[in-house]
Amino acid sequence: MPRISPVTGRYVTVDVDDIQYKVFYLENGSGQPLVCQHTAGCHNHQWRGLLEDEEVTRDHRVIAYDLPRHGKSDPPENKEWWKEEYRLTADHYTKFIVALCDELELDQPIFMGSSFGGNVALQLALRYPDRFRAVIPVEGADYSPGFYLDWWQHPHANAAQVCASGVWDLMAPQSPEADRWKTWFYYTQGSEAFKGDLYFYSVDHDLRDKLDQIDGERCPVVMLTGTYDYLTTPDDGRRTADHIKNAHFIEMEDIGHFPMSENHEVFRRYLLQALERIGSRSATAQA
Amino acid sequence: MTATASSSTVPVEEWVRSFTDASDNDPEIQAHGKYFTCGYLLDMENHHFVVRMTSGRVAEVAVDPGPLDVGYQFAIRASAETWRGFATEIPAPMYHGIWAATFRRDMKLEGDVLVLMQNLRCITRQIELLRTVRVPV
Repeated sequence: MPRISPVTGRYVTVDVDDIQYKVFYLENGSGQPLVCQHTAGCHNHQWRGLLEDEEVTRDHRVIAYDLPRHGKSDPPENKEWWKEEYRLTADHYTKFIVALCDELELDQPIFMGSSFGGNVALQLALRYPDRFRAVIPVEGADYSPGFYLDWWQHPHANAAQVCASGVWDLMAPQSPEADRWKTWFYYTQGSEAFKGDLYFYSVDHDLRDKLDQIDGERCPVVMLTGTYDYLTTPDDGRRTADHIKNAHFIEMEDIGHFPMSENHEVFRRYLLQALERIGSRSATAQA
Repeated sequence: MTATASSSTVPVEEWVRSFTDASDNDPEIQAHGKYFTCGYLLDMENHHFVVRMTSGRVAEVAVDPGPLDVGYQFAIRASAETWRGFATEIPAPMYHGIWAATFRRDMKLEGDVLVLMQNLRCITRQIELLRTVRVPV
């Protein structure tokens, strides 16, 4: 019996701001679409545990895509991207996610992202509240300065190792060593995109004076943050949720900034709480 | 010196020995440390050390050197209290690495930080060895 995973991978073409992308995504499951964004400078293998989680995929169609310039999603198809510096903006990032969901013909997906994916989840709740059933910002906050650093791309250092070891402390020492090293390994692969992603994360993303414009009744917001995250701490997540109407915050014990990748078994317990709160789990799945 | 070392503090000479042994026998550092050659200052408030690495091996650990005695390229400075937080099997949040403690505690990364970045993989591992060899402050 061949040991073939139920997870499948496909490409879809997406147009945003006159830019064409060929986007790679992994998916498994059926039912409520659950669209998952990896962290900055990384790719969709961070969601490997969730993609094969039978309890979640029983009633959710889990879709984990590679943002363009990450993993198997190439940079723009119709642009000389190598002639400019990559700097991701909130405007382009949110438009891309909505265009991807349209192209996949997803009806009221739940959007979940971690780190810069958590921050863009908040941006989506602000800009496109009627396009998503709910958002789950993981390790997100209203503002997350301090990580847009030249070190990620410094030509005098080994950028792959700087990115990978530079984010090592974002994981909890309790997380399984093998999963932390897989995450480290993914980070060696994304150094050319990491810094440009962090332009969004630490510079362009600033919702400090806009949180009261997010309506958690129109688009439910359930935030999850791990205790070992030094970039967006539980205090940052709690403060952010406190300023959003009807948002809910869940603190995750003994886990860090890459929860789905560093320790899916711990992360899933909190995710199931979030999905339950959103109401997307079927009665049979909860039984 | 402002703080008093607790009775359970590892004696300095013993710490230098166990830190050197742990690093020189660590599979990760030995597998990836071919170019791990640099000198750095560990400032632990009550004591400071200059660690000189050559090709992944500890060439020397200078204990409390005078101001101009031993050169180094970068420094990792923190209070004794912060370093004690590093010296447990499972450190509490924000004591679990030099980035975490620099962002959220009183740790400072100073000097030629480029050299730190060039050796980040091995330095990260070397600092984690404090979870087993503890600290002498």
